Amino acid sequence: MIPRSPTGFRRYRWTELALFILPIIMLLLEMTQLLLTKLDTTSTPDLRKFPIVEGLTPILGLIAVLLLTHVMFNIFFRKSDQFLLPLVGLLSGLGVLMATRLGPAISDPAQGNKQLIWVLIGLIVCLGTMFALRDIYYLARYKYTAALFGVILFCTTLANALRSKPDTPTHDQLSLGPFAFQPSELLKICIVIFFAAYLSENRDMLAEGGWQIGRLRLPPFRQLGPLALMVFIGLILFLVVRELGLALLIYGTFLSMIYLGTNKFMYVLVSLAIIVLLGFIGFKLLPSYARQRIEVVSVDVVNWTQASEDIYSKSGGGFQVVQGLIAVASGGLLGAGFGLGHPGYVPVVQSDMVLTAFAEEFGLIGLFALIGIYLLVLYRGFRIAIEASDVFSKLLAAGLTSIFAIQTLIISAGNLKLLPLTGIPLPFLSYGGSSVIGNFIIIGILMRISYNTALERDGIG
Amino acid sequence: MQLDAFFLVLRILFIVILYLFLMQVVRAITRDLRKAAASSDDIGAKGPLVLGHLIVVDSGPSNILPGTRFDLEPQTTIGRGPTNTIQITENFISSEHTRLWFRNGKWHVQDAGSVNGSYVNNQPAREAIPAKPGDIIGVGYIQFKLTV
Repeated sequence: MIPRSPTGFRRYRWTELALFILPIIMLLLEMTQLLLTKLDTTSTPDLRKFPIVEGLTPILGLIAVLLLTHVMFNIFFRKSDQFLLPLVGLLSGLGVLMATRLGPAISDPAQGNKQLIWVLIGLIVCLGTMFALRDIYYLARYKYTAALFGVILFCTTLANALRSKPDTPTHDQLSLGPFAFQPSELLKICIVIFFAAYLSENRDMLAEGGWQIGRLRLPPFRQLGPLALMVFIGLILFLVVRELGLALLIYGTFLSMIYLGTNKFMYVLVSLAIIVLLGFIGFKLLPSYARQRIEVVSVDVVNWTQASEDIYSKSGGGFQVVQGLIAVASGGLLGAGFGLGHPGYVPVVQSDMVLTAFAEEFGLIGLFALIGIYLLVLYRGFRIAIEASDVFSKLLAAGLTSIFAIQTLIISAGNLKLLPLTGIPLPFLSYGGSSVIGNFIIIGILMRISYNTALERDGIG
Repeated sequence: MQLDAFFLVLRILFIVILYLFLMQVVRAITRDLRKAAASSDDIGAKGPLVLGHLIVVDSGPSNILPGTRFDLEPQTTIGRGPTNTIQITENFISSEHTRLWFRNGKWHVQDAGSVNGSYVNNQPAREAIPAKPGDIIGVGYIQFKLTV
């Protein structure tokens, strides 16, 4: 058993603190390199005149806030998970670095500082989420409120899509004064909360099945309603709003949660078949933006032909993806070095295509390490889900982790031309406030669930 | 020229530290898992198998605190007598009051000939009644919630 009454010294979150050391060194190292690349290489650099402290201030501020969060966790949530904060801290630190580096390339020099402020707000929101969710069932009780909120967010996206011109790349924006806000980042959390609550209540009913066609058992009609709604939302997103990424994200999460909740692979297959069938019909009926996006995947970059050229030069065609691939390829194994690449050629490099800029400057090795960090975050998420003591917490943790995983997967695959490229951000690395805050809410809920589990297991002690 | 060499060193240093960090996380996680596995082994060796819990939601006239948790073994008896797995010394609890057992993945509840009765969701359990996690189990005037 874990020692019942460890001394104050041993109660400290040492693992977390130890895991902070290397990320801090890394962030300082990269920031220094970024400053040095801005030096005039022709003259001999005079390091004494070099504004090292001013240049390092943003990243030092981030480190201070991360350590402050660590101290807050020590005081209030001592038993919560110790691995998530260092991993997420490194990811968001890399995000700030990428924004600082890419800012001048897209003529927005203040971008790094803006991203830093978003990360700070995100950390505060993360702590706030942990304080607010004293009772996690609070979320389960208000599941229809969450669903309603989700539907409102969904409707704003829909209204935007119907109002704006068909050529604009993304409809997933809501302007609130000076801020452009992406409703989808909150929409996905609402959907996970609703489904976790809904499935944990109706699990038995769904798992047993109401009526039967051949060997296939389907859930009773009353339970089928919300499930049908999901298919509907997925299709609307794909065909009307033309947000393929968001549709994939929400539907993918829905499928994984159905499977986690009922342990019936048949439901997943049937839902998948329905969406593929309806999606295919819609795709045939509407020759549009969505079809063009999917065509891009067929571009053969190595054996460049006339067909490739056609898609490449079409407006809204393959230009972005092909430029991204060229950037990745020019990075090679070791990368060009941070601040030494040329990521400015790729459109929207700061948010959707940030992975290509990362791959160009850190190389294949850096890319693998980045994927490793994401995998470790996912591992901790599912671990928290396994250890949680009740069905709702389990489903909530697993669902939030799934949505994080699917989002990372879709946008990375889109960047590398393995899936149609879609406009969803890479968690923590892409520039953008709503994405950072949304992901910090996810981390906050996961941390709170792990804290509740530890409390139930060991007592407050 | 010197600066270029310096950048190369910085780049390699960064990559090395990045992988060291990943290794550190993996090692810490492995250590954590070992500790968890060892502690769960301890529980298995020391006490009997615990398959579920009863949590007091309404203690009635007794002075048990709501929220108190009792462990459930595959065969559990509740009553006033000292031979019961869960002993509750209250006047309104019979010496052998309620039996709970776990079979085919389900909990079953049956009254053991008590005076004040046993209930599953307010339904008298004279015969064995299956109970699922979340159900309210009444033992005399005390209400428990069954959890896994």
